Amino acid sequence: MKGPQDLTRPDSQKATGFADAAPLISLKGITKRFGKVVANKDISLDLYPGRIKALLGENGAGKSTLMNMLAGRFKPDEGYIEVDGVRKEFTSSKDAIKAGIGMVYQHFMLVETMTVAENVLLGQEGSFFINPREMNDRVRKLAVDYELEIDPTARISDLSMGEKQRVEILKLLYRESRVLIFDEPTAVLTPREAFRLFEALWAMTRLGKSVVFISHKLEEVMAIADEVAILRRGAIDDEVMRDKITSKADLACRMVGKEVLLEVTKEDVEIGEKVLEVKNMTGIGLRGINLHVRKGEVVAIVGVAGNGQQELVEGVSGLRKPPKDTIFIMNKPWRKFFAEMTWNNSMSYIPEDRLDLATARNLDLVDNLLLTTGKGFTKGPFLQRDKAAKVAQELVEEYDVRPGRIQALAWQLSGGNLQKMVLARELYRQPHLIVAEQPTQGLDISATEEVWNKLLEARKMAGILLITGDLGEAVQLADRVAVMYCGQIMDEFPVTDTAKLDNIGLLMAGVRE
Amino acid sequence: MLGYRLQKRDEPWSWGAPIIVVGALVLSLGISALLLKLQGKSAVEGLFVLWQGSFGASWALEDALLKSIPIFLCALGVATAFRMQVWNIGAEGQFALGAIGATWAALNFPDLPGYLLMPLMFFSAAVFGGFWAYIPAILRLKLKVNEIISTLMLNYIAILLLEYLVFGVWKDPKSYGFPVTPEFTGGAVIGQIGDSRLHWGFVVCIGAGLGMWAFMRFTRLGFDIKVAGEGQRVAMYSRLPYGKLTILVMAISGALAGWAGCIETSAVVNRLQPSIMVGYGYTAIVVAWLARLHPLYIAISAYLLAALRVGVENMQLELQIPAAFGSIMEGLILMSVLAGQMLVTYKIRRKK
Repeated sequence: MKGPQDLTRPDSQKATGFADAAPLISLKGITKRFGKVVANKDISLDLYPGRIKALLGENGAGKSTLMNMLAGRFKPDEGYIEVDGVRKEFTSSKDAIKAGIGMVYQHFMLVETMTVAENVLLGQEGSFFINPREMNDRVRKLAVDYELEIDPTARISDLSMGEKQRVEILKLLYRESRVLIFDEPTAVLTPREAFRLFEALWAMTRLGKSVVFISHKLEEVMAIADEVAILRRGAIDDEVMRDKITSKADLACRMVGKEVLLEVTKEDVEIGEKVLEVKNMTGIGLRGINLHVRKGEVVAIVGVAGNGQQELVEGVSGLRKPPKDTIFIMNKPWRKFFAEMTWNNSMSYIPEDRLDLATARNLDLVDNLLLTTGKGFTKGPFLQRDKAAKVAQELVEEYDVRPGRIQALAWQLSGGNLQKMVLARELYRQPHLIVAEQPTQGLDISATEEVWNKLLEARKMAGILLITGDLGEAVQLADRVAVMYCGQIMDEFPVTDTAKLDNIGLLMAGVRE
Repeated sequence: MLGYRLQKRDEPWSWGAPIIVVGALVLSLGISALLLKLQGKSAVEGLFVLWQGSFGASWALEDALLKSIPIFLCALGVATAFRMQVWNIGAEGQFALGAIGATWAALNFPDLPGYLLMPLMFFSAAVFGGFWAYIPAILRLKLKVNEIISTLMLNYIAILLLEYLVFGVWKDPKSYGFPVTPEFTGGAVIGQIGDSRLHWGFVVCIGAGLGMWAFMRFTRLGFDIKVAGEGQRVAMYSRLPYGKLTILVMAISGALAGWAGCIETSAVVNRLQPSIMVGYGYTAIVVAWLARLHPLYIAISAYLLAALRVGVENMQLELQIPAAFGSIMEGLILMSVLAGQMLVTYKIRRKK
């Protein structure tokens, strides 16, 4: 967050009188698997009245799976949920609502053409007919109690994002939810609106609600949380009281973690010419970026999500136009490179979004192979599908993509197999530059290892720009590490510089020594 | 609800498509029978007359085949656009423009021999129809105008334009005031095949159907259209020129509808007159969906819906049923097929 606004909670906002209260909701050793992937591993959490618990974690750390279990959409494979100390089975989202659990999602579910009060009362049980004035009065009173200033008669389509979010909250409060879970609530808000949301959250805790705040913005977590739980690779990695966290950098260090899950051997390869150069790039959300990648090396961009990594990737991969004369790929200016781009011996982009960006979900593997290699299988106006099918079959076998049928549609593949297919296709193009964005996110250990080995092997032909939120991955693969914060590169150093590596949390939190 | 719930299938229901179409037909015929009953007619007799009129006699079969020609071409066109998720609802207007384009050529070069005039008419019909579809395409790309609305509105403009021409500048002075153009010269009329009532436009249909099938299946451009239909993000990732492809599919769509208009004017009425506008362009949308955009199935469902039209005309004559009954049945079939399509990805389970 920018600007001078002080986010810290004033003493007058502290919730009192809940010191000895029992938890409203307890998660007891919850595990959830999807096939081989363990999305949540032995998670135990207690949610107390009058407290804000921040849940920190990168994308793919298992936050949404956990939320879905609390919302009654998924059933845990192991473990259970306790409501007021009593074990409960949620068979549908209705049960979760009855238990007093409410969610505020990033995408609002409101009827745009109806008023605030109508939306709040929509679908609530009660009498069939409702007097509009009484309806407005009830909503107005609720809004005042929780400091969620809003006009009950306003139409949703006229509201700002912040106001719409307040309506979502009022919906939950109206049906007397006791635990309110917010999924990255400030992502859609202006800084001013974000602060007003915090005031509302504090008001809720004073009235005995329990709040779960999911975010990866360190400032916000520091400002409003009473307790912090850190989720990594599906498990609770750390759980601390806010008082024990000394600074933003401390929090960042805790978030990054240290454990090594997997080690791969990295052979030396010959370092070649520059394949990517970013020169003093300012614009599209970035500030003064200087960076280069040579053939044969891996440069890792690390940092907390949302600090400009996506903008950098979009610029380099050609999805978004960067300012003039800032990006040079294979010694050509951006514009010239993409105008002359060939299907092979060029650049490959392995995006974070495997389904819907890297692949077309309803097309089979042959068609998906042709997405980026189509030019290589074209003769005159015709597409040589038979030839492509043969190559697809070879790639499926070589990379062990399961199920081994090339007729399978992209959506039918598991995340790991789909990623292997994307990798197979992109390496088949013999690229000189590879942009790999979160290449092992959500994959199990064996798939992660395969992807890592393939990427390391690819160094023989290409330079790799790796964007990752997983420091372990950066350490295993990279030659150099660059840390991004707020659209800038804080520092860049060789991966062998252990002193700097130890302090990487500080850099990720925007602190320069 | 009611003790049942929907559950997502792990794999799409492979036998779903034919079962759903048949089920939807049965359901809509059932509802139609009920509607007949409400009108005080015998439902059984009504359905029998419908069957007689659709398939019961050689004239009915021939009539249906004739009507299926413009429907097929329009449906082939809209299916191309639909495949890229460009919602061209404007086949009706593009059909009208095609008829105008063909008439323009026929009236201005009446003395050309058929082997020159006919290609000129088809060319001009394609250009006129294609241009009419190009307008919403460019509006969508440059100004983000929703093509569903713009194509629909352009239909009305096209019909008014056609009426303006036949009531005004192109009106036949010898027509005793009827809004028709002069009759086309011999070179501008598509002839009959042998002794049948079927004309050579039927062969154009077969050619266009095979051509589009091969285009979508074997060419790079056809593949690009298919990929672009999977979403703008994938198209961007694959570095496809999304805008140019949008224009291309709309132009193809409009050109095919234009051909339908050309054939209808030249072969069926031999002149331009407002009565050619009977909603083939709208039926084409139903046909394209029923066929799930596949050319062969488009041919089959174009014939079925043409037969339905003929059959309902028969019902109108024999049972004094309102003309709107045909549209109601068409609508029922489309709605039940669309609703039924959910069953491909979901199954209905009893609640435990």
